[in-house]
Amino acid sequence: MKTLLLGFVAAFVVLPLAVLGYFRLGLAGVQSDATPPAWESQLMRSAVHASIRRSAAAIQAPPADNVEDAMVQGGKLYLNGCAGCHGEPGKPGEDLDHYPRVPQLPQSGTQYSEPELYWIVKHGIRHTAMSADGPFYSEKQLWAIANFLRRINNLPPGVLDRIQAKQSPGGSNN
Amino acid sequence: MKKFLLGFATGVVVLMLGVVGYLELGLADVRADAIPSAFASRWMFSSVHASITRSVPADLKNPQPPDDDALIAGGKLYLNDCVGCHGAPGKPPSDFGATFYPPAPQLARDGTQYSEPQIFWIAKHGIRRTGMSAQASSYSDQKLWLLAGFISRITSLPPQVQAGLEEKAGAQK
Repeated sequence: MKTLLLGFVAAFVVLPLAVLGYFRLGLAGVQSDATPPAWESQLMRSAVHASIRRSAAAIQAPPADNVEDAMVQGGKLYLNGCAGCHGEPGKPGEDLDHYPRVPQLPQSGTQYSEPELYWIVKHGIRHTAMSADGPFYSEKQLWAIANFLRRINNLPPGVLDRIQAKQSPGGSNN
Repeated sequence: MKKFLLGFATGVVVLMLGVVGYLELGLADVRADAIPSAFASRWMFSSVHASITRSVPADLKNPQPPDDDALIAGGKLYLNDCVGCHGAPGKPPSDFGATFYPPAPQLARDGTQYSEPQIFWIAKHGIRRTGMSAQASSYSDQKLWLLAGFISRITSLPPQVQAGLEEKAGAQK
C-alpha cells in the first residue's frame, strides 16, 4: 500500500515537471501558420465554450425598443469594427494567418447566445486574437452588436440593405 | 516495484482527468481583460521565447544589412501595418494593443529582446494563441527583412532615419 501511494505521489511530481520542461525547452511549436493536432484544438475550443457558458449564464439581454433597429445599429458597428477580421457579409473570407483561426461569422454564423456574444465582445478571449472591446462601446452598442451577430447568417429581409446603406452626407436619415 | 508503477499510472490518469475536467467544466477563465496569475504569464512567456529560440535556424541572417534607406522603408511598413497594436515611435502606447491577452508588446516604447532573424521569423509565421498573425501572405521575405531591420533598432534609430520617417509621414498628410 505504501509503495502504491509513493508511485501515486511520484506521478504528481514527475508529470508537472515533464510538462514544464517540455515548454521550457521550447519543444512546443508557436507559429500560428501551422495547424496543431486535432485533439488539442478540440480540447481548447470546448474549454473556451464551457468557460463562456459559465461566465455569461447569469446575464440577460435587456429588452430592445425595436429589435430590427438594434440589429441595424449593431450591423453598422460590425462593419466598422469587426468585419476586418471576421469578414464582410456577402464576401467570402478565410483566415489562415491567426491561430486559433478567426471565425468568418457571415458564413459560419455563431452558436453562442446573445448574452454570450455580448460577454465575448466586452471581455475578449484570452490566448486568441479576440480583443476586449468593452472600453470602446457603450452597453447599448454592445447589445446591438450581440443582437446582430446572433442572426448574422440569417438576417431578416431588408436588414442588410439598411446596414450597408451609405449615410446621407448631411448625417443621419432619422 | 510493480505496486509503485501501478500507483504511478493511477496518478497520471487522475492528473490528466483532473486537467480535462477543469477545462471542460469551464473553470478556466478566458477573459482577455482579466489578468492571469504572474506564474501563468511568466511561464507562457518563457515558453514562447524558448520555442522561438529553438525554431529560428541559427544561420538565418538578413541578406542585406539595412542602411538608412532600408530602415526608412521598413519604418514605413511598420507605420502602415503594425502601429495599430504595437504603438508608434514618439506616441503614447496603443490602447488597442492593450485589449488583447497576451497584450501586444509596445515595441516603439520598449523595443524587443528578439534578434533581427527572430523578428523576421515571428512576423512571417505569427505566434499561436496570441493576436500575432502570420504575415507571409501579405509580405515578401524581402519586405519582412526590412521590417525586422527596423523593429530590431526601433528604440535606437539614427536621427537621420527618424527625420526621414517624419518627412514621409508629413508628406502623406
